[in-house]
Amino acid sequence: MIWLAWRQFRAQSIAAAAVLALLAIVLAATGPHLASLYNGAGLSDCHANCIALAGNFVAQFEGSYIGSLYYLGVVLMYLTPALIGIFWGAPLISRELETGTFRLAWNQSVTRTRWTLTKLGLIGLASVATAGLLSLAISWWASPIDAAFQFGGQYTPVSFIRMSPPIFDARGVVPLGYAAFAFALGVTAGVVLRRTLPAMAVTLVLFAAVQILVPVFIRPNIIPPDQIIAPLIAPSAGLTIRGSQGTTGGVLTVQGDFSKPGAWILSDQSITPAGHVFAVPATQACLGNKGQACMNWIARQHLRQLVTYQPASRFWPLQWIETAFYFALAAVLCALCTWQIRRRNP
Amino acid sequence: MLWLTWRQFRAQAIVASAALVAVAIALLATGPHLASLFDSNGLATCRVGCGVDASNFINQVKGSGTEVVFYCSVLLVYAVPALIGLFWGAPLVTRELESGTFRLAWNQSVTRTRWIAVKLGLIGLAAMATTGLLSLMISLWSGPLYQAAQKAGGSDELSISRFAPPLFGANGVAPIGYAAFAFVLGVTVGVLLRRLVPAMAITLALFAAVQLLMISAVRPHLIPASSAIEPLSAVTFNGEGETDNGHLLLDLGTINRMPGAWIVNARPVNSAGQLAATVPQPCASMTNTWLQCLASHGVRIQVSYQPTSRYWAFQWLETGTFVSLAAGLGALCYSRVRRLT
Repeated sequence: MIWLAWRQFRAQSIAAAAVLALLAIVLAATGPHLASLYNGAGLSDCHANCIALAGNFVAQFEGSYIGSLYYLGVVLMYLTPALIGIFWGAPLISRELETGTFRLAWNQSVTRTRWTLTKLGLIGLASVATAGLLSLAISWWASPIDAAFQFGGQYTPVSFIRMSPPIFDARGVVPLGYAAFAFALGVTAGVVLRRTLPAMAVTLVLFAAVQILVPVFIRPNIIPPDQIIAPLIAPSAGLTIRGSQGTTGGVLTVQGDFSKPGAWILSDQSITPAGHVFAVPATQACLGNKGQACMNWIARQHLRQLVTYQPASRFWPLQWIETAFYFALAAVLCALCTWQIRRRNP
Repeated sequence: MLWLTWRQFRAQAIVASAALVAVAIALLATGPHLASLFDSNGLATCRVGCGVDASNFINQVKGSGTEVVFYCSVLLVYAVPALIGLFWGAPLVTRELESGTFRLAWNQSVTRTRWIAVKLGLIGLAAMATTGLLSLMISLWSGPLYQAAQKAGGSDELSISRFAPPLFGANGVAPIGYAAFAFVLGVTVGVLLRRLVPAMAITLALFAAVQLLMISAVRPHLIPASSAIEPLSAVTFNGEGETDNGHLLLDLGTINRMPGAWIVNARPVNSAGQLAATVPQPCASMTNTWLQCLASHGVRIQVSYQPTSRYWAFQWLETGTFVSLAAGLGALCYSRVRRLT
């Protein structure tokens, strides 16, 4: 049984192993150089002026092949679970049903339930292991870059801190959960639809939808986010005034500075003393960025700054909760498709 | 023959139409707001010195739902040709071979070569039309954004350019070429491998590889890049600085006299025209006048770039390249099917 499961899975596992090996070679060849750039920039034992040093470091690799590899790594971490679902999960049962080989396979001394469980277990484990190895390799390689982005500062696009969506999904243990879920989703779609091609398409669409919905609606609220309310100090360095430029201006909004290194900022708003979000038509005092006059006018509005955020310290709790959530989904789907196969007369 | 082609393609056609309608609804729901923001910032009538208005407009878009719609639509234009190759191209012949229906289908009054030619032609056209429509809708929708980015120049905080690599392939006519190529690639891989799932995997890998190769190695050389030496005051930087060992870092954003140009390569040079790798000693400490200090010591920027006016030439060249690749693969596929036993 295990031999046949391996034999049917051999081509896929060789392809996956080849890709992993190729990637490992590329990462091993470039990783030490990246780490030495990090040390050379003085970031490994930095106590003061870290933001400027991090900016230097980021400027050194941005635009070079290391920058491209960094982005490629993120894309790869997103693609791998989807590809596992499409190419390992969806055809697993539907191929047997479509080609009719299930008649032979399921009528041997091994019952079809046991057969399904074996395949789900072994290939599911292989999926999780592949995603885990990939995540380990890429997280190791990118750790200097992640650490530099963590300092914040002007060279750091906010979205690249590891707490916020594009990077959170591509680091740590969550890719293992995604792989398990995508695989189980593919198998279930194949069992329900009983045709390979539609099952592959449906798997892709459903998985993409879940990957978009979870970071936008679920992840910010798994642990209730922290809030800070503080008076907005008008002439302060980090004040961003929007809608005040040009001759007509637009809707005027004011955003205070917020510095908690590595925090995932969910919203940063100014509110009026009455508790409403401050957004008014641009006033004459601020049109064309008049500087002090505008600052004085803003100071008279008695605004408060309301920031909702997830602090950097919640990275690992959120990672484990999300991974457990996806593993639970995968377990439910596996139970569903085992039950379907047992009950159904193909 | 035409009827059967349509009947076999019906499910895919319905899915594609439904997806197009959904995208059209999403764009129609958000497009008028974007256009009215553009007008209310005075950009529709602005002729000169529009930088402030443009960055004001971009600031309003940034961080709003419109920005999310924009990036999602870009991803979609890149994904659709790949999906067409996987789900329309690869199964076209492999399904017939795997399920054995080719025995019936290819032994009627219509020869198998005619059969494959009709299918390649019709579904290939459908693939190009689908992607073309999608690209047209999204190009129209995001028109205000690209115009504003061009007018904002260096103060553009979204820093988008429809000419530079990540967005070039998501606009204009290039996606039509990608769709034609991906579809025929899928069919050809299917004919060669004769098995569905491996054919889909190989199609995806090859298509991604060709796209990466095109961006990194081929496209910059389709037309030889222009070259210029610009003074530091005539360009806008995304970032500038120096490293601990005095290495000069200048990250070029735009050339002021040429908004929207694609900067292929930029490096600082000294007055003799040689690469200026390190910061001249008198400018060692960074101050507000650091760039002026560099300029007074002869540092200039040597850029190789593709001027804005070449945008459509590049779009058509790219489309032509991919359509001819598709035609070559189509011929290969045709001759393989003829000799297939």
